[in-house]
Amino acid sequence: MAKPPIRKPKKKQNPLKTAKVEHVDYKDTALLRKFISDRGKIRARRVTGVSVQQQREIARAVKNAREMALLPYSSSAR
Amino acid sequence: MRHYELMVILDPDLEERTVAPSLDKFLNVVRKGGGAVENVDIWGRRRLAYEINKKAEGIYAVVDMMAEPDVAKELDRQLNLNEAVLRTKLMRPGAR
Repeated sequence: MAKPPIRKPKKKQNPLKTAKVEHVDYKDTALLRKFISDRGKIRARRVTGVSVQQQREIARAVKNAREMALLPYSSSAR
Repeated sequence: MRHYELMVILDPDLEERTVAPSLDKFLNVVRKGGGAVENVDIWGRRRLAYEINKKAEGIYAVVDMMAEPDVAKELDRQLNLNEAVLRTKLMRPGAR
């Protein structure tokens, strides 16, 4: 019986670690824009490759930024 | 006494020169309440991601201060009563 080949998931680089960010601030829109799609949605963790805690922090920052009209709730691109 | 960070979006029809003095008048509440205003950063005019009160722009300002919780809340309340203020956000940066 041949075992099905085990696909090793490619380990993604943690983008926050590479950017040396310890605290995600809702005012830093340039950083937060990396974590939203072009339609304004928050990117999933499997896409962003950050830790659970960091993803939560990012989500909260994005939502705060949206409240202050720094980021769109949704963009009508298409 | 706690550290607060307050972000305010002001009406874009205001003269940009008058922003600092009028904002300072609001911050007197903090000084009277025994707090201290550490830093006032006026970002200036900026495009809003979506319209607020039919306005496409806003004048952003960020205030760092030390204040009692009641005082900070009172300042937020007074800002929201003012018509030149489109939106405010009062946050405690250290709190998690």
